[in-house]
Amino acid sequence: MSVLAPIICDNGTGFSKIGFAGNSDPSFVFPTAIATRGPAAQASRGPSVPAKPGHLASKRGVEDLDFFIGDEALANAKTPGYAVSYPIRHGIIDNWDYMERYWEQVIFKYLRAEPEDHYFLLTEPPLNPPENREQIAEIFFESFNIKGLYIAVQAVLALAASWSSNRVTDRTLTGTVIDSGDGVTHVIPCAEGYVIGSAIKHIPIAGRDITQFVLNLMRERGEMTNVPPEDQLRVAGKVKENYSYVCQDIVKEFRKYDAEPYKYFERYEGEHSVTGRKYSLDVGYERFLAPEIFFNPEIYSSDFLTPLPEIVDGVIQQSPIDVRRGLYKNIVLSGGSTMFQHFGNRLKRDLKQLVDQRLEASALASGSAQRSSGVEVEVISHKRQRYAVWYGGSLLADLPGFYQTCHTKAQYDEIGPSICRRYQIFGSAT
Amino acid sequence: MILLESHNVIIQTALSEKLARPSSLDVQFVDYDGVRFRLSTPERKTAVLLSMNIRCWGDLVKYGALEILKREYGALLKDVPEPEYNVSLEIDLEQAPPEGEAREAFIKSVSLLKRNALAAPFELAFRTQKELEASGSGQGELMQVHYRDEEAIYVQASADRVTVIFSTVFREETDHVLGKVFLQEFVDARRLPTIQNAPQVLYSSRDPPLEIRRVPGLRDTEDIGYVTFVLFPRHFANATVAEGTISHIQLFRDYLHYHIKCSKAYMHSRMRHRVSEFQKVLNRAKAEVATAERKTVSGRTLVSR
Repeated sequence: MSVLAPIICDNGTGFSKIGFAGNSDPSFVFPTAIATRGPAAQASRGPSVPAKPGHLASKRGVEDLDFFIGDEALANAKTPGYAVSYPIRHGIIDNWDYMERYWEQVIFKYLRAEPEDHYFLLTEPPLNPPENREQIAEIFFESFNIKGLYIAVQAVLALAASWSSNRVTDRTLTGTVIDSGDGVTHVIPCAEGYVIGSAIKHIPIAGRDITQFVLNLMRERGEMTNVPPEDQLRVAGKVKENYSYVCQDIVKEFRKYDAEPYKYFERYEGEHSVTGRKYSLDVGYERFLAPEIFFNPEIYSSDFLTPLPEIVDGVIQQSPIDVRRGLYKNIVLSGGSTMFQHFGNRLKRDLKQLVDQRLEASALASGSAQRSSGVEVEVISHKRQRYAVWYGGSLLADLPGFYQTCHTKAQYDEIGPSICRRYQIFGSAT
Repeated sequence: MILLESHNVIIQTALSEKLARPSSLDVQFVDYDGVRFRLSTPERKTAVLLSMNIRCWGDLVKYGALEILKREYGALLKDVPEPEYNVSLEIDLEQAPPEGEAREAFIKSVSLLKRNALAAPFELAFRTQKELEASGSGQGELMQVHYRDEEAIYVQASADRVTVIFSTVFREETDHVLGKVFLQEFVDARRLPTIQNAPQVLYSSRDPPLEIRRVPGLRDTEDIGYVTFVLFPRHFANATVAEGTISHIQLFRDYLHYHIKCSKAYMHSRMRHRVSEFQKVLNRAKAEVATAERKTVSGRTLVSR
């Protein structure tokens, strides 16, 4: 019998990416949201107790089956009696009841797969407590009876996804991952497939903040006056996604725009979502200012002022000295907010400057007797950046060695959930 | 979601997306019962090839699956399927019906590919039953569809009914017990006055029902169960009812396993709830640490370091 493709399930805070191994894109991308009967607050106290015994079929309700997930959940948010909740918070599963039911519908309604026939690859954020892995293993092995399970760290999968870029020559799992989604940006150093937990840094600037910043800019310029208020945030999001890019020098860019506004200003055409009234607005400096908040955060917030290249440099400097070269050489981008044009080039240039300055300083301090041969800095952007984690999972699970690294149902039955505390790093020799 | 849907969501979403905006594509995915699909655009962006590999294709062809697929899809069906697959449909996006209801119906019918292929033995049995009813007696052939490795559907038509028997294997002891309870529930539920019209359900574990007892190669282990449905002519008298019956009955095995899993999930949530309640009780029972200030006779306070 041919083995059916493993299922890759990347559950993020905002969106879940779900599909089968071997494909280049996830089959489903929808919000990690679940709409259940009854208010969310009440449901968290646990489901209702079943009614009196007797003919169960006649007496007991089926409230536990009455829920929607993903886009359908949001569509039903306003339906009386339903309440939407998000079972994952900051990348970590918060409500296991909802998550178990969420997976139930993912498998049976969307993927239409018999879990007993499939291997599963799930993802977890860095620094996920091992207890959570055990919980996941319990749910998947005991509720769903799956064949085998592998839980991978998202950053490692993002590194694996970068193998698809033609600039990557050796397939290594050493590198720095910059993972920027909707809520938060992480900078995660990985050495040989292991995350260096002590050096991870989080940056409170991500997709949502960029959208907000675009909105502020356009309001200030008065462009938003003819956009209905309820559409403004969405329009700002569209402007960010469709027109923004990273420039190399802000001052030059401003001059360019002022000299030839007709060449650089873009026109955005929109339509009111209810009345269908048309409106249009000019898209100007936002185009290069939006992603600039990564490099000059002071233009957006007053709390967080360290530019992204400095953070990346700091993270690498905190990592063990013997992997630093590898970390500089392989900086991998992942997540939707790193999709801006030239983002990689700009990051590489700024980081290179920082590194060169430091080398220069140390050469001076040592009396210029010995010069360093230089440190190679490389930022890798590739086509699969948006769903990099999922794609990395799909790549790894498609290799024949995947089945050996999984923990199987038999092993789970033998040892118990604690088996999932440790996973062999994929592709490593041991 | 109580009933499983009979159409494939991936085919549905992918096709509607590609009809709106053609682009190249190559995805492989699965459906229940080990069915494998591949959607690809091998030649040009507007010609989508949908191939299906189904385990029991040999059985299905024997019972007339090809005719049904020809009837449903007509010219879309390719004479020679893609290698490694059993059936291929070639969908020319430019020839597809215009936007609106016709297109929706078209997409829906394509996403029902697996259901239509598996419908063959049932449709044949319904026809045979009509013939036997006219002649008054006799029994149709016992049709076997080995749709999974160790599990099969048996369909047999008689003069007054069609019998459908599922054999199902429970890989785990818990599932076996839950399955038993479930199937007993099916038998009991039928006693309710509101669902008197439902088909009769019989359940036996280990011992195969009399109809299939002489079939060679049946497993004789604890973990196997047999479910028998007896369909009467009213369940397939008119075309729409018959369609519904087929759609539901062929997913029965997955339906059963889905609900076993759902009830486990429900029990787990009850257990979590109970544990958190117990934890609250335990926390309440903690001995209170004396926090009152203690003083010496002279009025000085004792400070713990």
